[in-house]
Amino acid sequence: MNISIPLIVIIPLIAALFLNLFAGKNKIIKVLAFIVGLGLPILTLTTSYGLHYFGGHQPLALSNIANLSTYITNSSLYNLHPAITYAYTPIAKVFIFALGIVVFLSIFSYLNSENKASGPFLFMVFMATASVSALLLSDDLFNMYVFFEIAALIQTGIIIASSAKDNYETALKYMILSSIGGPILLLGITILLAICGSVNITDISLAISNLVHTPEASGVVLFAFSLIFFGWLYASGLPPFNVIKSLVYSKAEPYGSSVLQAMSLISLIAFIIAMFRIFGTLDIFKGVMIFISIASMILGVSMAAMQTDFRRMIAYLSVGELGFVGLGFGIGGNFAITAGLFQGLNEMIVTTLLFIGLGTVVYLTNTSDTRKLGGLIGKNTFMAIMILLGGLAMAGVPPFNGFRSKLMIVEAALNTGFPEIAVIIILISIATFFVFVKAFHSIFLKPQPRDLTFIRDSIPKSILFTVLVLLIICLILGLYPELVTNPISQSIGGLL
Amino acid sequence: MYELIILIIIIIVTLLSAILALVRTDLLEVAILSGITGLGIALLFQLLLAPDVALTQAIVGAGIIPVFLALAIKKTTRVDDG
Amino acid sequence: MILLDTQLLTLFTAGALIVIGIFAAIYIDNIIKKIVGLSFIEEGVNLFIISLGYKSGGVIPILLPGMNIKWFANNSAYPLPQALVLTSIVIGASTLAVMLALSMVLYKKHGSLSASKILNHESDMGDEL
Repeated sequence: MNISIPLIVIIPLIAALFLNLFAGKNKIIKVLAFIVGLGLPILTLTTSYGLHYFGGHQPLALSNIANLSTYITNSSLYNLHPAITYAYTPIAKVFIFALGIVVFLSIFSYLNSENKASGPFLFMVFMATASVSALLLSDDLFNMYVFFEIAALIQTGIIIASSAKDNYETALKYMILSSIGGPILLLGITILLAICGSVNITDISLAISNLVHTPEASGVVLFAFSLIFFGWLYASGLPPFNVIKSLVYSKAEPYGSSVLQAMSLISLIAFIIAMFRIFGTLDIFKGVMIFISIASMILGVSMAAMQTDFRRMIAYLSVGELGFVGLGFGIGGNFAITAGLFQGLNEMIVTTLLFIGLGTVVYLTNTSDTRKLGGLIGKNTFMAIMILLGGLAMAGVPPFNGFRSKLMIVEAALNTGFPEIAVIIILISIATFFVFVKAFHSIFLKPQPRDLTFIRDSIPKSILFTVLVLLIICLILGLYPELVTNPISQSIGGLL
Repeated sequence: MYELIILIIIIIVTLLSAILALVRTDLLEVAILSGITGLGIALLFQLLLAPDVALTQAIVGAGIIPVFLALAIKKTTRVDDG
Repeated sequence: MILLDTQLLTLFTAGALIVIGIFAAIYIDNIIKKIVGLSFIEEGVNLFIISLGYKSGGVIPILLPGMNIKWFANNSAYPLPQALVLTSIVIGASTLAVMLALSMVLYKKHGSLSASKILNHESDMGDEL
């Protein structure tokens, strides 16, 4: 029993409720959001690894009841998890800590650039933190489904709270897709429940590993896999959902988009780890992962190249980069999976940097159309350089973190005998580089159009600080990747 | 046998009202028919040995959802012109 | 007849509801009807889950005083799916409420409930802000 594991989910939930309660009282909201935002990363660091059984309902095997008859100790009931279990692993620690930082910096830049703090928006942000942390912690598929639905509602809420044009239409579209994706995921979970009699991932993976090779059951297992896979594609915005996902990112405020992309990245990771544990022994698992990841990467970069709205461009790039995580699982092996997850972490931080950094362009000019922009480097040179460095980190230029993780994936692909994948990764990185530099040129470097009007004169210091912190994190992870890769590979070693 | 006939009648009513709900043009009828579907499902839950779920489904599916739909229709339009 | 079995019939009903719902979500233009169709998908999945836990000739999974525990364990329906469905019903209702609220806002803006008019009027290539 480790009481601070559920606190990681409970504290943001309670904070969200209180923020809604104090709506209108600007000062209290600001102080509360600041304290909780700062406290969450600290809590993740101080919590020790372990399992938490809700209500103390642990498996019989752990209870040490004397004189149990053998027909109980020999059955699978002896190891069944009767209650919701939360597992705090090194992977969960790394990603929840990074999520805490992203959320804290998003809130920080939000509170400092808006005059009036909106209670509902902060409510959404903290609910988002709680729901995706629970996704990562939970060892229970139905619990994951519940938080998956909550996350879908929160994402809709963040779009509704923004002031972008056509945000309600996008929200309704996203809700309609989520009401198809959610039940389909639930159906997949139900079939697993019907096969195994439990919704606990540990129990299911134990049962499935025996069933997968029997011809009667393998068809049903494959069907369950395809249903859960569909729900996963929806949750993480891989194709065919990449269009709606990037639309969602571009309709939120910059600090909203940074939280949204962190949410979909963490739901991707939570579900891919669950799928890997349950279906990892299936023959088609790796092939499907590689296929969908490469499709996502190619579609992401090619659609980003066609955008004239830079927010949608970043959105497409970030959705495309998600493919690297799936690629790590598709290649297989500890090194490749670690590389994929490390790339996912880097992508989360770099995309936050780009969303918040380029959000200042909208803040200054109220437009995000690259054709109407230009010459903004004269406004704030420091910010422009930081955004350029962030873009380079995304494309995979040394010494930044993106370079490290992409190099690791290329190495893993070469070692396992997939030189084609290595070539594709390098080509995608080069294409990302070109797409980004083209957009950077048209926003910052090309001569300023005459009709460009500024609605504000300067960028708030707090956003400069936020972007600087994120850039420093990118640099640290680029120079000392062991900080993250060691705990991740330790966790993966436990799963393999 | 007697139970089976009841079950089949409930299933037919449920599915029929679900299909009718999607083809009628008066949206208020759609709300009521979806309520009938919800009630049918609640009865099926009862027959499937889940009385507490049946209670919840009867309240939500036959009460709350049709009322929500009717409120939305009141604020928008009653006719499906498409 | 083997088809006339409670569990099979309800599984069939659940499948039919899911198919009707997906059909409605894809082909029906009116947003309110689309949302009703989506709620049918939810209800179909709930029915599917409950019918998995059914035990033919069994009893309700509530242990009443005086029942033999061994007999009860052998004859009661499986209660775990029922606990899951309680949560799922509430989630479905709240999703439906949010969608209806959004469609009300959009009706005010566009004066129509037609999905093709509301959802497709902007170009997906992002030419505007």
